Amino acid sequence: MSERGLGRSLVPVVLLAAGATVLAGGPAPRREVLVFAAASLSDALREIGTAFERNSGMRVLCSFAGSNDLARQIRAGAPADVFVSASRDRMDELEEAGLLRQSDRFDLLANGLVVIASARVEQVFASPRDLLRVRRIALGDPWAVPAGIYARLWLERAGLWSRLEERVVPTLDVRAALTAVDSGAAEAGIVYRTDARMARNARVVLEVPASEAPPIVYPAAVLLRSSGEGRLFLDHLRSPESRAVFERLGFEVLVER
Amino acid sequence: MSLDDLGVVLFTLEMAGLATAAILVPGVASALLLARYRGPGKGALETILSLPLVLPPTAVGLALLEVLGRDRPLGSWLASAGVEVVFTWKAVVLATAVMSFPLLVRSARTAFEEVDPRLVGIARTLGAGPAAAFWRVTLPLAWRGVLAGVVLAFSRALGEFGATIMVAGNIPGRTQTLSLAIFHDVQTGRDGRAVALAGVTVALAFCALWTTEWIVRRRSGEDAP
Repeated sequence: MSERGLGRSLVPVVLLAAGATVLAGGPAPRREVLVFAAASLSDALREIGTAFERNSGMRVLCSFAGSNDLARQIRAGAPADVFVSASRDRMDELEEAGLLRQSDRFDLLANGLVVIASARVEQVFASPRDLLRVRRIALGDPWAVPAGIYARLWLERAGLWSRLEERVVPTLDVRAALTAVDSGAAEAGIVYRTDARMARNARVVLEVPASEAPPIVYPAAVLLRSSGEGRLFLDHLRSPESRAVFERLGFEVLVER
Repeated sequence: MSLDDLGVVLFTLEMAGLATAAILVPGVASALLLARYRGPGKGALETILSLPLVLPPTAVGLALLEVLGRDRPLGSWLASAGVEVVFTWKAVVLATAVMSFPLLVRSARTAFEEVDPRLVGIARTLGAGPAAAFWRVTLPLAWRGVLAGVVLAFSRALGEFGATIMVAGNIPGRTQTLSLAIFHDVQTGRDGRAVALAGVTVALAFCALWTTEWIVRRRSGEDAP
């Protein structure tokens, strides 16, 4: 076997490695803000992020997932600048771990729970007891994901959780629960009222009154490791433009005008 | 395909390329060691190097997170030096490199084992040092198997999921590879996009594996001493 063959085989490999290194080594041309936010904020923050990009010239990267997952990643060292959680508890954990200052956080939004049913389900839901007639109920993981925890607490208060628990399909975040009901994989689900507006096939069958469910508050914070960019974005979340977006999508804005 | 989708494809190719480049030298070295070394501990070494092949990828990812997390010794030391690994592109490269490593080693090792040791011996008697014997005798005879291993490792790196999502997360624009994007799209009900991306992965995997087969098939006939 000649050395020609050896050279031929090494050249593409070297080119691949060199090309990849060049691509990876280039610095990012624009400053970036990395936002970790609850999945239920996907639409709102994408819109708000785009507006911020236009105004500031910075790039906004959003990672949407269950707030529990995002908090865990931040604790493990994920380089997020801003965190918007669907639960005060997850934010408290990060504050206790010294990853953010109390003065850098505030309560941004409030939300409410609704029960949704897939298009195939024809029955009428007059009360939560009607969930007993459903085979599969999609929720965010009721022991981890904020939306799932709120739903479980509501059902526990209604005295129904122990009987419904075995029908629960736990999902990684609230939007996955919405997808499960939208696609018909689960007959019913419990999501935020703001998520239900994004449903294509599922419909709202029951609204959970605020008095029956735990308070659903979304705190927002800039993390200590962030430089000025994160703070700019956090301030933008409090702006009238952002308020308009949140309210249009069904959130209650807690920040004063 | 939208610009975003193209970005995910390019990012995935870039990450897989970097991971493959990173394991090239250690992988070939390990393969050579396993092919030649006959002493004690060889069995244990073989097993340890093959672990990522058999372990659940999420377990591998978790192990990486336990070592490199912010509140772990190595992780906090790196953080104090200003180096961020977890939940950045570096973690994507690391996770895919670890998962692909055994594939490169196995393929290259088989190729090295097929090299007649007498040929190496002849080179040595003619005055070649160990390095010269490797570059001018062993590697030219084994290059097809090594290359097949490289392409296989690259293909594996393209599709890595479990270890990647554990230690790099699923951050669109920063750490989201093709397989993570497919997962995320299905979760959020964007089935059309998921199917399109899955189609791309099939095409990429097909090309990569077909190339491997072509390389290996051409072994017989050309190399007979």
